[in-house]
Amino acid sequence: MYSTLSNPLRLGLRQERVISPQCLVIFGASGDLTHRKLIPALFELFLQRRLPSEFAIVGCARRPWTDNEFREKMQIKLSEQISGNEKEWEHFSNYLFYESVDLQQSDHVVNLSKRLNEIDKTQATHGNRTFYLSVSPNFYSSGCKALKAAGLIDDPKKSRVVIEKPFGRDYYSAQKLNKIVQSCADESQIYRIDHYLGKETVQNILVLRFANTIFEPIWNRNYISSVQITSSETVGVEDRAGYYESSGALRDMLQNHLTQMLAVTAMEPPGKFEPEAIRNEKAKVLQATKLADENEPWKCCIRGQYVEGGNSLNRLKGYRQEDGVNLNSTTETYVATKVFVDNWRWQGVPFYLRTGKRLPKRLGEIVLTFKDVPVHLFESTIINPAPNQLILRIQPNEGATFKFEVKSPGSGMKSRPVEMEFSYDESFGEPSDEGYVRLLADAMLSDPTLFTRSDEVEAAWKLYTPLIELMDNSPWKLPIYNYESMTWGPPESDQLLSKDNIFWRRP
Amino acid sequence: MKPQLTLQTPLELPHQEISNYLNQLWISEDTDNSGANTFTLIVWQPAWLEQCLVQTGLLNGPITGNLSSEIIEVAKKFILDECLPHTTSLNSDELLNLLKKNLSNKDFEDFRGQFFESSISTLNPRRLITLAPTLKNNSEIKTFVSAYCPLSDSSGMQPICGDLVVIRGDSHSINQKGLKIIEELAINELPSWLWWNGSLDESPEIFDYFTNHGLRLIIDTALGSPNRCLKVLDYLRKSNKAINDLNWIRLKSWRESLAMIFDPPARRPILDHISDIDVDIAGEHMLQALFLISWISDKLEWTFVKVERDKEFMKIEFERKNGEKIYTSINPLPLGNPSIHLGQVIGLRLISKISEMQKNNTCVILGCESVECIRLEAGGMADMQLIEQVVPNSFSSSESDVSKLLGSSRGNTSPLFENTIKIALQIFNSFN
Repeated sequence: MYSTLSNPLRLGLRQERVISPQCLVIFGASGDLTHRKLIPALFELFLQRRLPSEFAIVGCARRPWTDNEFREKMQIKLSEQISGNEKEWEHFSNYLFYESVDLQQSDHVVNLSKRLNEIDKTQATHGNRTFYLSVSPNFYSSGCKALKAAGLIDDPKKSRVVIEKPFGRDYYSAQKLNKIVQSCADESQIYRIDHYLGKETVQNILVLRFANTIFEPIWNRNYISSVQITSSETVGVEDRAGYYESSGALRDMLQNHLTQMLAVTAMEPPGKFEPEAIRNEKAKVLQATKLADENEPWKCCIRGQYVEGGNSLNRLKGYRQEDGVNLNSTTETYVATKVFVDNWRWQGVPFYLRTGKRLPKRLGEIVLTFKDVPVHLFESTIINPAPNQLILRIQPNEGATFKFEVKSPGSGMKSRPVEMEFSYDESFGEPSDEGYVRLLADAMLSDPTLFTRSDEVEAAWKLYTPLIELMDNSPWKLPIYNYESMTWGPPESDQLLSKDNIFWRRP
Repeated sequence: MKPQLTLQTPLELPHQEISNYLNQLWISEDTDNSGANTFTLIVWQPAWLEQCLVQTGLLNGPITGNLSSEIIEVAKKFILDECLPHTTSLNSDELLNLLKKNLSNKDFEDFRGQFFESSISTLNPRRLITLAPTLKNNSEIKTFVSAYCPLSDSSGMQPICGDLVVIRGDSHSINQKGLKIIEELAINELPSWLWWNGSLDESPEIFDYFTNHGLRLIIDTALGSPNRCLKVLDYLRKSNKAINDLNWIRLKSWRESLAMIFDPPARRPILDHISDIDVDIAGEHMLQALFLISWISDKLEWTFVKVERDKEFMKIEFERKNGEKIYTSINPLPLGNPSIHLGQVIGLRLISKISEMQKNNTCVILGCESVECIRLEAGGMADMQLIEQVVPNSFSSSESDVSKLLGSSRGNTSPLFENTIKIALQIFNSFN
């Protein structure tokens, strides 16, 4: 059992970038995301002393709250995090303000503009503003237009707009939304958030690949036979049925989080570690990615929906029995697909992506399976020598495992697989920041490296267009297979790989 | 050679006309470009070694103010030719005094203030003021002025321009007139930094002027006698002035490497049983090592007990909360090819005694080269669990350190350094 105490020599050593005086305006401040992720992330930044003293957070929503009501509500919602940090919260809560705003009403936005000018004076925030649209996706266009009309995003150096996922429902709607948003603000002001990119381990893929000499030479079709990307959740739809029914696993997870993981895994090295250089490479690799069979896309995708499961002590409802879900719902809670990256590096290497709810474990991982040795000189203790695998664990137990063959003890010359481990916990002993902590700080620092650019978003939607068209126009071609809650998805998803003589890793 | 900042030679102007000239310059230019809204950087740039080498004919001019590899090479050759000890520092009075004996009376072109590393110019200082004291006494103040527009790597970016002023003259005239000129050139709405790129022993009246004028200070305590450097730090700390010390910044890789050793939680208990720390330094300037030991003692909450000082070493004793003693020492080593920075840490050995059995104890060694690691592991250290690491030498120039500081600091003193100074002063004062 390791000590959880901080390394005393590490305290204060990390040099963080300095956030300029700033006013963060959150639209949708009465929503879940604000108290579940955004305010906790900002409080964490405050505890880490990374917020400037000239700072303000202005919550905006339709409810007629006062500043104090907003502060009190946040205090109640964050009670667990505040516990033990009461003094700090008292100080932090002075940064919280509230303005009742309906983005559809221009006079509300004008009032907001006046309030922000006042706050600029009292908090000395110098007109630097970050607008966070944590609202229903239906309001992204009108929200941006309202901000533009009020002149709040006219200065590209002093204002930014952060937009939550999902950015569009398909390729065409994403294109349309991009056009509207870009007519209101410069692309450099737009920060499309994908919180997976804020995870330490996703960023570590870049470091692992481009700060070491040993991985890059084998990171290609000559040595890698397949790649599996998994993001699984144990929870069901919870209280998000309203949103999830119109979204499903493909739009909610596959198109953004998993595809971004694919992009950082498969991209070419950028010339420089600079936002545009990195985003160029990500966009290029996404543009080169195709479904394994574009002519018959139903052959490379499996959709599933969880049904009842669990054990007698903890019986779990099926998706269609969840509150707010249509009894005949055909929304997928699981999706698995096979894609190819059509470029020199990855030609012929299948990438399998899967995500689902009510699976046995909550995890995110990328598994790179290497090609078999040309000749098997040694007999294996199991039937065949296991291929070498590099497993990058995104969550939980963040780290990496390398699987390779060694001699099994004894007089013979049999081989068996062993694992070489790297664990963030064991090496650093400190929890990494929640993705939102990193991304909120980056947005306020005007660093877009970990945010998705318009062409990346469009390429990601374009990739899945054949599947989305099938789902919308000929859903019978992409049927929903049931899977019991707390199992690894429908058996049909195994067939997606078994045709290639590959199996999903059972983590 | 570092890139020249200005395309044209700065214009020599009487100092009374500078402010007016600069105002005109920005008004007559493109109306969208009224100069970078960043900061003013004032640089005290004596470059005594370069001036001496040029004036003695050992080096061809012009004088640029940059400590180039050519200057270092010529100076080291001079040290050998004059049979000075190999360990002679390039900043030592001994070397400079010897060079000063053979100065010529010729005038050399002096380009100080015109050459800066791009890491500084790309930060777009709004105003760069170089104070260039001359070797020759009775040099009246001369002032030069120019605009500059560093080109950015990203295409399509409009250049952000600044201006550059050079104030040249002997130290006396800089003190008498130069400082007044600086006052006239102040841009009140922007922060101003002073980089004292010379020894803290020299021109104290000029240095004191800056410390009393609310500037953000960048100093290098490797330059100047430890006594004077600590007095300066003490004064700045007591008067709540922000201090940025390049000698502390250069210690970063040592602090980071040591912290890295104890990142794995399984190694943390070692920290509770440290009994000995030995720090090897290049040369005799003990300040950086004192900072390192003070920082460790602060982080591990040790109390200073006593210090014993000799010509060849400094021994400092601390006490843990449970009463256990920790013995530390700073050992100056004569190196044949010393760093241009005096007293740089070259090795650290930390012993942690967790039990009576030697093999259960731990010895952590950080060395700047394998040779140093071998030196520190002698004496049976391998009987313990040995954790060794080579800390790469930082070859970055002072300008590069300064640019990192300007790019990331808000001008205040790092809390880590503040605590370190307190302990270092406590130790230093107890033998003075």
